[in-house]
Amino acid sequence: MLTGLNEESHGIKKILFSKINRKLTLLFIIVALIAPILGIYYFYIIANSALPESIFTGRIGLFRDAAIFIIILIAIDAGIIGFIVSRSITKPIKKLYNATKEVEKGNYNVRVEIQTNDEIEELANAFNITTEALGKIEQERKEIDKTKTEFLSITSHELRTPMTPMKAQLQMLQEEYFGKLSKQQKESLSIIIRNADRLDKIILDFLDISRIEAARLKFEFQKTDIKKTLKDTVSFMKGFAKEKNIKLVLKASKLPVIELDPDRVSQVLRNLINNAIKFSEKNSKIEISAKKQKDHLLFSVKDYGPGMSFQDQIRVFEPFYQIDDSLRRKQGGTGLGLTICRGIVEAQNGKIWIDSKIGKGSTFYFTLPLKPVKKIKPIKVLFSQKDIMDKKIQDEFKTILGPIGIQEFKELKNKNALNKDDIINYIDTLVNNHIIDNKQGINFKNKITKIYGD
Amino acid sequence: MKTVLVVDDEEDIRESVKTILRINGYNVITANDGDECLEKINNETPDLILLDIMMPGRPVGDIVKQITDIKIVFMSVVRKSDAINKGLCEQKNVVDFLQKPFNLSDLIFKIENILNN
Repeated sequence: MLTGLNEESHGIKKILFSKINRKLTLLFIIVALIAPILGIYYFYIIANSALPESIFTGRIGLFRDAAIFIIILIAIDAGIIGFIVSRSITKPIKKLYNATKEVEKGNYNVRVEIQTNDEIEELANAFNITTEALGKIEQERKEIDKTKTEFLSITSHELRTPMTPMKAQLQMLQEEYFGKLSKQQKESLSIIIRNADRLDKIILDFLDISRIEAARLKFEFQKTDIKKTLKDTVSFMKGFAKEKNIKLVLKASKLPVIELDPDRVSQVLRNLINNAIKFSEKNSKIEISAKKQKDHLLFSVKDYGPGMSFQDQIRVFEPFYQIDDSLRRKQGGTGLGLTICRGIVEAQNGKIWIDSKIGKGSTFYFTLPLKPVKKIKPIKVLFSQKDIMDKKIQDEFKTILGPIGIQEFKELKNKNALNKDDIINYIDTLVNNHIIDNKQGINFKNKITKIYGD
Repeated sequence: MKTVLVVDDEEDIRESVKTILRINGYNVITANDGDECLEKINNETPDLILLDIMMPGRPVGDIVKQITDIKIVFMSVVRKSDAINKGLCEQKNVVDFLQKPFNLSDLIFKIENILNN
């Protein structure tokens, strides 16, 4: 399986364009020299045997000079011809190479014009057809993506319309507009209303997601006293922490007044605190902090709950991802809170991540630039962040196996073998083949197990 | 008794709002689109119009421009910020925005506030 070191990617250019040139030129020179060298050699033998010794020895110097002159001349000629011929081969290859680089950058309109009447022209035509097909797929993908976002947005609006009279009528019943209710009827109604509200919250979250994906989430940037925003948010959330008697502790030193959308910051914090409450034991505490760092603000929400594996840390931002499915039913979240947090933070060029260990609680961090980025980016929050996890595994491969590790990682990935069991099996083969020793193998396995988190 | 004109293309919403407001002591008239709204205010003078933003027929922006002397409260499933972005809230007589689906107390509080000031 170990295939050896591959050259760095920029080396490919060198291999393609210098090596072919060099090889062909050298080949031309060698082939061109075979005949004259042989000729000169036979001439030398014939002259040596046919001419009297005295004449031959007297002319040998002249003969040698002429021979060297001819050989050099032929070598130069052959070199030039070889170079020209090889260039005519590598030039279209270079054209093709440059075109593939364009495709790599996402430009599917690139076409290669090669008229060499040979296999390279055929290759170029095949390339053009493939690129056109890729372009069509890309176009379709974009359309599907747009339709998905629009569909999400329209559906959410359409769902809110029937919610309006439904909630109105339910509330009228609850407020006893139409006569007194029994205790049981009241209880039943409050369950219906609670769930109607929950449904509406999900619809609203859907709307937010469609906006995040289309970069249509509204931000109202204004000079903001962040400490006040934090205080207000924390005191608002205290109401939700009461039931489990959880203490909310705000730790914020001096914070600058900067331009941002306080409602969005509060929305992210509320979601994170809400999440922390969900995973905290009764009578514990949650610490909320914010500080200025270089060119950004760093916020954090720390809980002393069960903590989570690396796999969960990555996937927890996916829509409807639940670490513990029973918790959702108990706590009644929408499953979109953290996804929206990621969208809001990343749309403003911020970062969001988790630091957590099983049994040691979790800390959610997010940053926002001090200078607001007002051009809101579309964030594909519905897609998984699995690539972050892959990157982490790749790093481990590189640490243990060196540069060759990346190659190995890619092979496993291509084989669809990037899962815990397959990687552990792979490590066993490495140890069995003495490519790494026992100790390294155990170390490697531990790290992989840790990433997968059990 | 103060009169409120409720304009919404959804009958169920119209009827629900009508019932709520009547029980809370308002006189309620209804219209199911912008044009009918203009017709109604020709005949009667409501103290307040509760106006849906997304309705079939003429755009609400056009309708609002023709009403200058009656207070308007928008109600919509779209957000307030969207309504503001569409330039709907610039007119002086547009006094508030009610997010659908609304809470009963919100609706009553808003209307009482506006009509008692």
